[in-house]
Amino acid sequence: MSKIAEVTSDPYAYVAGLKERKNKKIIGCFPMHVPEEIVHAADLIPVVIWRGNEPVTWGHAHVPPYDCGITRSFVDDAVRGKLSFMDGFVFHIRQCLQAGEFPFIMERHFKPAYQKVLYLPAIYPGDAVRDFALKELESFKTSLEDFTGEKISDDSLKKSIEIYNKNRSLMERVYEIRRAKPGILKAKEVMQIVWSSMLMPKEDHNELLTELVKGMEEKSVKAQKERIKVIPVGCLCQTLQFDILDLIEDLGMIVPDDDLYIGSRYFANPVNLNGNPLNALADRYLTKTPLCPTKGVWDIHWGDEAIKKMRDNDAKGIISVRVKYCPPHTCYYPDFRSKMAEKGVPEVMIEMEHEIISLEGVKTRLQSFAETIGGV
Amino acid sequence: MAVVVGVDVGSLCTKTVILDGDGKILSYDIMRSGHYYKGAAKESIENALKSAGLKKGDISYTLGTGYGRGAVAEADAEVTEITCHARGAARLFPEVHTVIDIGGQDSKVIGIGENSRVVNFVMNDKCAAGTGRFLEVMALALSVDISEMGDLFFASKEKVDVSSMCTVFAESEVISLFARGHKKADIAAGIAHAIARRIMGMVGQVGLREKVVMSGGVAKNAGVVRAIEERIETSLLVPYEPQIVGAFGAAIIASERMSTTIG
Repeated sequence: MSKIAEVTSDPYAYVAGLKERKNKKIIGCFPMHVPEEIVHAADLIPVVIWRGNEPVTWGHAHVPPYDCGITRSFVDDAVRGKLSFMDGFVFHIRQCLQAGEFPFIMERHFKPAYQKVLYLPAIYPGDAVRDFALKELESFKTSLEDFTGEKISDDSLKKSIEIYNKNRSLMERVYEIRRAKPGILKAKEVMQIVWSSMLMPKEDHNELLTELVKGMEEKSVKAQKERIKVIPVGCLCQTLQFDILDLIEDLGMIVPDDDLYIGSRYFANPVNLNGNPLNALADRYLTKTPLCPTKGVWDIHWGDEAIKKMRDNDAKGIISVRVKYCPPHTCYYPDFRSKMAEKGVPEVMIEMEHEIISLEGVKTRLQSFAETIGGV
Repeated sequence: MAVVVGVDVGSLCTKTVILDGDGKILSYDIMRSGHYYKGAAKESIENALKSAGLKKGDISYTLGTGYGRGAVAEADAEVTEITCHARGAARLFPEVHTVIDIGGQDSKVIGIGENSRVVNFVMNDKCAAGTGRFLEVMALALSVDISEMGDLFFASKEKVDVSSMCTVFAESEVISLFARGHKKADIAAGIAHAIARRIMGMVGQVGLREKVVMSGGVAKNAGVVRAIEERIETSLLVPYEPQIVGAFGAAIIASERMSTTIG
């Protein structure tokens, strides 16, 4: 865990050092749907873009204050030169209104050596959409080939997918062990594990995870029966503030599983490797990524999925974490909340903002929620 | 004589309630919290003990609640003010299903289900808009004592809109309204209606279920109470001393925990 904590404590220094150590170019992939495997197969290092911890300064000249934390933080980092170690960026601009601003800002103020705008369909009603998605991925692959001057073979893409699938299965194993041994890791540590996967080369991360899993399998933990199990849900694109996760646990609750992007959503469902690898990546994006407000799926309700996860884990309630000014989550949330009310599921919403967080207010909300589901 | 104590350390005021073994209020105390919550809790408990003719050794269980609940050194446990307001309101008005609590620095709407338990709640905590502190600042801007704000509401003759709910901007707006020649009473009524609009938004999130109790210091302002009643189109039940409902609830929970321990 110490290596993982080191990586996540200063991702800027880690990724800059990584570039030097590996002597490879770094491609920043904006969360949440960029298929990193294609970047990896081009012998580049894909890194998922993160929200920094510093207040936004110069970035205010480029994005409005009513954009979400990661949007403002990323633009601020870029225009201040904090991301100079990145050689290129990939933005999937269909996932939210704010993501559409990035390519213009980057082109004008950062001038990256490589930039790709992905235009993956937000809905999947049939084959025409699948063809469109596939063409987008082909165009993404071609743009990387043009950038590196090297062709990406099917074999190299399959190999990258295998490495990524291995990472997914190892992370799934970490979650399985946590479910079986609640409390074996703090919720914050689990988030650090997922986040480090987004920053580290997957081969290196797989080695770390293999060691971590072995240690977790051997370790026994005291039963945590008196603690109330809760499932955090939401917090799209960015890390949930660690203080909130600590508060949840300090207040007598425990997190056996989650439905967070920097959590179970990142590694859910492997890519099916039968046949054409690009087809397989398109298939995962269209049909196998967990339901999310950035994708239009109308036959499954995100609330039902969250409730299932809660019940599968024998949890007592759901903690929605909503990033302030996150348009997809904000639009979906009323429907989500109605579903919770309809099914009689205890749920509380915590709002998170980049620079400001009233932890006392959050504490009162979480403590009241724990009292409510704990029968006080 | 074994008694239990509930202490509600709020951002503006600290309240203490002492209950006897039958759940009867023996005494209560309300004082300003100041900047030293630990000292305020201690002093408030001492005041309430003195009023009841009791001494520290008579206390069998103390429960802290409120914004400064962690600062009650005498407390055996702490519970949030949301749970305590629900429990206190339900004891006073068993038919209650919704509590509107407007305290010094935050406001809450609490949905109550079976056995006086909280089923849903919302609270504003980002700023002091629409809270007791907001009213204090508005009273200063109007150059009246806060206790006069309620009466001013009923003396209003003309409708004046106070659109901003930011304490700082609303203060500027009040000054502008004065400059335009509006009367104090009309502005005071506009302020009460602005608070009611904000509360209505929170009530909408929890869902209005009658009966509705209003607690917290702002419930002493009859103008705000009336403005909320008009907005939610139902009567509010206001306890004789709305400011101690949280401390009362804390004392009830203390009493339950004592029974469990003894049982």
